[in-house]
Amino acid sequence: MANALAQHKPIDEALPRKTRIRFGRLLIYGPLCAMAALYLMPLWVMVVTSLKPLDEIYSGSFIGLPQTITLDAWRAAWSEACIGTECTGLKPYFANSLLMVIPAVVLSTGIGAINGYILTKWRFPGANLVFGLLLFGCFLPYQAILIPMARTLGLLGLAGSIPGLVFVHVAYGICFTTLFFRNFFVSLPDELTKAAMVDGAGFFRIFWSVILPTSIPIIVVSCIWQFTQIWNDFLFGVSFTSGGNSPMTVALNNIVNVTTGRKQYNVDMAAAMIAAIPTLLVYIVAGRYFVRGLTAGAVKG
Amino acid sequence: MNAAKSFSSRLAGWLPRIVVAPSLLVVIVTVYLFILWTGVISFTSSRFVPVYDFAGLEQYVRLWATPRWHTAVANLFIFSALFLFLSTGIGLLMAILLDQNIRAEGFLRAVYLYPMALSFIVTGTAWKWIMNPGLGIQKVINELGWTSFTFDWITDPNMAIYTVVIAGVWQSSGFAMAIFLAGLRGIDNSVIKAAQIEGAGLPLIYRQIIIPMLRPAMLSVIVLLSYIAIKSFDLVLALTNAGPGSATELPSTFMFSATFRRNQMGVGAASAVMMLMTVAAIIVPYLYSELRERNNG
Amino acid sequence: MSKFLASLVAATMLVPAAARAEGTIEVLHHWVSQSEVDALNVIRKDLESKGFQWKDSAVGGMSGANAQQALRSRLTSGDPPGAMQFLGWEGPQWAEQGVVRDLNDLAEDGGWREALPPQLLTFVTSGDAFIAAPINMHRQNWVWANKKIFDEAGIAVPKTWADLIAAGKKLKEKGITPVAMGDEPWQIGIIFDALLSDLYGPEFYRKVAIDLDPAALNSAEMVKVFDTLREVRGLVDDNFVGRDWAVATGLVINGEAAMQFMGDWAKGEFLAKGLKPNADFYCFATPAKVPTFQYVIDSFGMFTVKDETVQNAQVALAETIMDPAVQKGFNLIKGSIPARTDVSVDDFDDCAKLGFNERAEAIKAGSMLGAMTHGFAAKPEFASVFGDVAAQFFVGNMSSDDAVKMLVEGIDNAR
Repeated sequence: MANALAQHKPIDEALPRKTRIRFGRLLIYGPLCAMAALYLMPLWVMVVTSLKPLDEIYSGSFIGLPQTITLDAWRAAWSEACIGTECTGLKPYFANSLLMVIPAVVLSTGIGAINGYILTKWRFPGANLVFGLLLFGCFLPYQAILIPMARTLGLLGLAGSIPGLVFVHVAYGICFTTLFFRNFFVSLPDELTKAAMVDGAGFFRIFWSVILPTSIPIIVVSCIWQFTQIWNDFLFGVSFTSGGNSPMTVALNNIVNVTTGRKQYNVDMAAAMIAAIPTLLVYIVAGRYFVRGLTAGAVKG
Repeated sequence: MNAAKSFSSRLAGWLPRIVVAPSLLVVIVTVYLFILWTGVISFTSSRFVPVYDFAGLEQYVRLWATPRWHTAVANLFIFSALFLFLSTGIGLLMAILLDQNIRAEGFLRAVYLYPMALSFIVTGTAWKWIMNPGLGIQKVINELGWTSFTFDWITDPNMAIYTVVIAGVWQSSGFAMAIFLAGLRGIDNSVIKAAQIEGAGLPLIYRQIIIPMLRPAMLSVIVLLSYIAIKSFDLVLALTNAGPGSATELPSTFMFSATFRRNQMGVGAASAVMMLMTVAAIIVPYLYSELRERNNG
Repeated sequence: MSKFLASLVAATMLVPAAARAEGTIEVLHHWVSQSEVDALNVIRKDLESKGFQWKDSAVGGMSGANAQQALRSRLTSGDPPGAMQFLGWEGPQWAEQGVVRDLNDLAEDGGWREALPPQLLTFVTSGDAFIAAPINMHRQNWVWANKKIFDEAGIAVPKTWADLIAAGKKLKEKGITPVAMGDEPWQIGIIFDALLSDLYGPEFYRKVAIDLDPAALNSAEMVKVFDTLREVRGLVDDNFVGRDWAVATGLVINGEAAMQFMGDWAKGEFLAKGLKPNADFYCFATPAKVPTFQYVIDSFGMFTVKDETVQNAQVALAETIMDPAVQKGFNLIKGSIPARTDVSVDDFDDCAKLGFNERAEAIKAGSMLGAMTHGFAAKPEFASVFGDVAAQFFVGNMSSDDAVKMLVEGIDNAR
């Protein structure tokens, strides 16, 4: 893969005249920057709002620059805002979300990897059917299954707890992760596993020392996708946890979703950005690997 | 000795199936058994809580006699079609431009991708202000001197669904861009070089050679974006809360409000079944052809 | 890594265990805004002073729909919270499922029935059982007006809707937005509910919004109600879509708009700015021959649980809520008035006092009505049809006849 990237040269380097290149560059940078500006607009609104005092917002200044800059909203969102009668800010819920998202991402990615491995390298009669069944699960409308899921969690003794929430995310996550890994492993030559088998390696040994080392890019893709989905999930969080066990999106909703009270727009915006920091970090830090991983696997559908 | 060996080799033969079995079991329960349950509820008279009687097709009749559901179905088609088309188109364009050995590619890529990271519960508020004629774009442009400019779709029941499309495209086109960019990086450069030597211009090369080679990426984009389109829920709730009136209702929001707000659990289940059938009608033939091709090949 | 994970798992396992300590009660509610939380803390502190623990489970949003959904999951999984905030028919409906604790003994001892307005018993009893303890009573059909604007335009407090609309038109000519509001269905519903009872009396309201009487629904009066709603639409500016109610209140406060139709939770916005009732702003009921009192109550029901310590905490919580002193403290903050009719009104502001007096009159005159928009008249499956039709009518350009037709069909379809 690194080879392909290294080989890849900009196409218009081959173009003959310098002027043409400069004009072409303009045509490329122009739209890119315009798009970037459009994409950043909502973020701009959120940042300036989070820096304004509330009175300034209520007096009609919604998208302009702040007259007075204050970090109070950020402080409030992190450690002071009331979520119900507990005025703790997002801080404790941040930990809940981490406790939920880390095991859920690790488990769903691990299980997806094993499933993908089996469905491509250890095909058995009906393997396609199994894959089809898993894939269709991606499209399940979650609003419809909240009640039977609650019953199931109750029977499993996982109701209202973070492990229960992890279970739900893993159950629905493996549909996607299996898809990612299967599509990646399909492109790996079968000779790889066959050679290892001749050497006497077994099922798990091949997975561990032959398959896994080649699949770093797709692991990155799977983790990013799962992390984003699980971190931002609200529906399952609100249904299957309560009170102090809730993930951050539920707390965020409690800060934001005020009906008969006054909306603290500045705190809302700061809270939303705090809530997004982990996913933003994942995109910025792992963004390069994300594209590389997609290149390596997911798109070879 | 022999028997033991055959046992262990038989075990080895079964091992993959044993390992995949728990996943399959979990999915059969959490997906298919739950779908079955939803199906059962759709044939009962359930309102506030599930009851297990038989009401025939009553809930389906009720569902299709509800104007809100008609709006939801029409909106799903408008929204999905435009959302898919625009996200794919813009994503592809951005990917092609970004692939021209750009300075600051990492920064731009992050800018296009960041909307995926933000929870829409709050981003919706920012969009609401931007699109509000008295606060956002319209006001700013009017104040700049172009006084006849109007952008008030969000207040117009006939146009409001397009504001949901705009916000949806903003959120997801970066993701399409990432996949296309990956596809472009995967294309062997020698093909392009050869075409250039033949004297083909850049637009022609893209149209005739590169874009057709992105077909697998296109499929991934369409599958993942359809998933996002069908699941759109937070987007609508935060931006328009299905309003003005019920102009931006989608099946997902309809299902939720029927079940949890309106005491119409049976109707909610019926709408879920309709939605699943629609998805199945699109996905199953696709899956079937894809997997069959694989088997033959 | 594995040690780390193990300790994480252990940490999460400990939480439910700790929550089951002596006399702890989990309270599931949808109050998340500052004033709501401050008021709720009055109850919490009183309960804690009796030695019980309060475990807070807040789920905000969508007028309690998110909390309802959470509750349904909790009950389905066999893990109900100790207490839950009920709105509208939620309490009686859960009671029918046999999952709500009967508080009749407490009610008998505490004389709850005598202390409460008889009309609201519908929502806190089920058969013979007393199933919820009501803490407050909001009035939905208030008008909040900027006094300076009214005075400068020479407008008196309107006595009829015709007066109000005429005054609105006059203000509009002067370039002032007559009515500030948002497009959320419940904000539109507040006006619709008021028109139903104000134009044709409480009897008409009962026939339409409670009995769902087909003749009343499909009547010339209904058409007139929609006609009037259309006239009110003419008094609202075009930027009302997506406007939060408190932003609308802000427009009235700073003089950009003249009035707002809103429940008494809006009062806090005026008071927070240091404005005084009748000196800086007016509060008056929506105009009618017989002023109606459209009430919204919040009550707390207790679920049947096995744990005795929780049962004890439930009793303590119910007693706390029905304590006149707690009701007073709570409602001074919340902006509503106590559900009990025997609480002293001395410390309340003028608007609340007016509310008290008009409630007493309304109880006598039979114009004490449950507010449909907040779930206190028709059951949700019907109330939401009213909400849909009124909202679609208001934001679009549907004719009144079409609206009535849509309403009749919608109600029939939901039956």
